[in-house]
Amino acid sequence: MKKHLIWILPTITGSVIIGLWYAIIVIGGQPDYVLPSPWQILQACVTERHLLVPAALRTGFAAIVGFVAAVGGGSLIALLLASSRWVKMSFYPWVLVMQMTPLIVLVPIFVLWFGEGLPSITAITFGICFFPVVANTTMGLVSTDKNLLDLFKMSNASFTQEFFLLRAPYALPYFLTGVKIAGTLAPIGAITGDFLAGTASTYAGLGYLVQNYRSQIMTAELFAVAFVGCLIGFIFVAAVNFVHWYLLHNWHESSLKAEH
Amino acid sequence: MDRPNNTPLVTLRNLHKQYGGGETVLKDINLAVNQGEFIGLIGPSGCGKSTLLKMIAGLTPVTGGILDIAGKTPSDARDRMSFIFQEATLLPWLTVHKNIQTTMRLHRVDKQECLRVADKMATLVGLENVKGFYPRQLSGGMQMRVSIARALSISPQILLLDEPFGALDEMTRDHLNEELLRIRSIEAWTAFFVTHSVSEAVFLSTEIIVLTANPGTIYKKIAVDFPYPRTAKTRESPEFQRLVGEVSHHLRSVDR
Ligand SMILES: Nc1ncnc2c1ncn2[C@@H]1O[C@H](COP(=O)(O)OP(=O)(O)OP(=O)(O)O)[C@@H](O)[C@H]1O
Ligand SMILES: [Mg+2]
Repeated sequence: MKKHLIWILPTITGSVIIGLWYAIIVIGGQPDYVLPSPWQILQACVTERHLLVPAALRTGFAAIVGFVAAVGGGSLIALLLASSRWVKMSFYPWVLVMQMTPLIVLVPIFVLWFGEGLPSITAITFGICFFPVVANTTMGLVSTDKNLLDLFKMSNASFTQEFFLLRAPYALPYFLTGVKIAGTLAPIGAITGDFLAGTASTYAGLGYLVQNYRSQIMTAELFAVAFVGCLIGFIFVAAVNFVHWYLLHNWHESSLKAEH
Repeated sequence: MDRPNNTPLVTLRNLHKQYGGGETVLKDINLAVNQGEFIGLIGPSGCGKSTLLKMIAGLTPVTGGILDIAGKTPSDARDRMSFIFQEATLLPWLTVHKNIQTTMRLHRVDKQECLRVADKMATLVGLENVKGFYPRQLSGGMQMRVSIARALSISPQILLLDEPFGALDEMTRDHLNEELLRIRSIEAWTAFFVTHSVSEAVFLSTEIIVLTANPGTIYKKIAVDFPYPRTAKTRESPEFQRLVGEVSHHLRSVDR
């Protein structure tokens, strides 16, 4: 019973929302360009597919590149921060400053430095995604159980043994939490990125399509882009969640199913 | 490293401990422990019992006096020592079998040997049926058994136990106490055992050291002469009860 409810309840709420949507259209009588109907949006998805599909692929690709950069770069920064108390004290505030800086302001500078298109989009995605990876991984690397460290010390473990056999696996769940958050942010980062730094000639992803449709007030098509972006987000999150589950399901509380 | 019977294995002379520039934690600790002895350490919370074990293990520096282990310093002698903590302190991402092997791996014991000894240890502590389990699938008592198996895998000369059964219920604790003595009859290590339970200390030890707090000093050394093997029956003897009463009395007088 419970199992079916997982599907049934959202289907019901979804139907109600679509019903309300139509009700608003019928009662309010707005023109299509203000509020298109779900059916018109679906039609837009189909008629615009020759633009949507390649744009979605480009955005998906940019999200992956930015995500990989954020996870790789973020882990490296975390490793440095965790390497000593002094490094952490000296640099962590500046990582926070980087995170707090409104990224949009920097976009023109990125474009100036890296040029329009994928490089700038990657930089923007990186900027949006890297912080959760840094914060969580650092936390994981410095909070290794004190007794376990003593245990390794008693065995005269080398630095590499301590890192690879203890600190790294201990930090893995923290790291993956950061990766999960980065995963939800990456598609948003990529779309924002090419909305701000994409052009027809350099990188026409979903963000570029938005600019295009906006100038022609093609509202149903804009909704279609949102729908496709949402789809990319789901695929991304599902993939990241799978990796999380795969690596932790044997041993970590966060990936355990309730056992009866 | 075997010593002639008349030289102590572990010698503490005027041992002193202070963390940083803080208060004196331990003062004037004098103790000579022969091979095969089982020393029960008991005293008020915060009196420095864990600190004493950590010094013997070379995990925290000695700040005064002498700590000699068969002619070596603690950090030189620690490859023949094992530490058992209050929590099982297992690696949650490894199975029971792999957990037992961790210390051996760190000691660069050859792989075949690791597997063989891990099997032997799992059987010794009664875990042969759960070797493939992860720690989270075990009860607290079973996790502690893994911890014991891991500690014994390197055939330690000295075993340091810091309230190893403190988190367990009394029945499990009594049972593990009996097991520990059974294993000891096979594996002859020297033990330092910290506990808050008087009856546990009396049951296990050859000698009980009662410590005072602030600063930690030795208040009383009490020899426990019951012959081994000690069993559940030992606990019921009037002699045992009398000694529990005596140690409790000393403990009350230091814990005001
Ligand atoms: N790493 C440390 N740095 C500074 N002070 C410490 C440290 N470890 C312990 N102490 C201090 O040393 C004293 C003795 O601590 P210790 O943990 O050895 O006591 P204990 O006898 O094991 O207590 P318990 O029975 O509660 O485990 C305490 O006052 C404690 O605050
Ligand atoms: Mg303690």
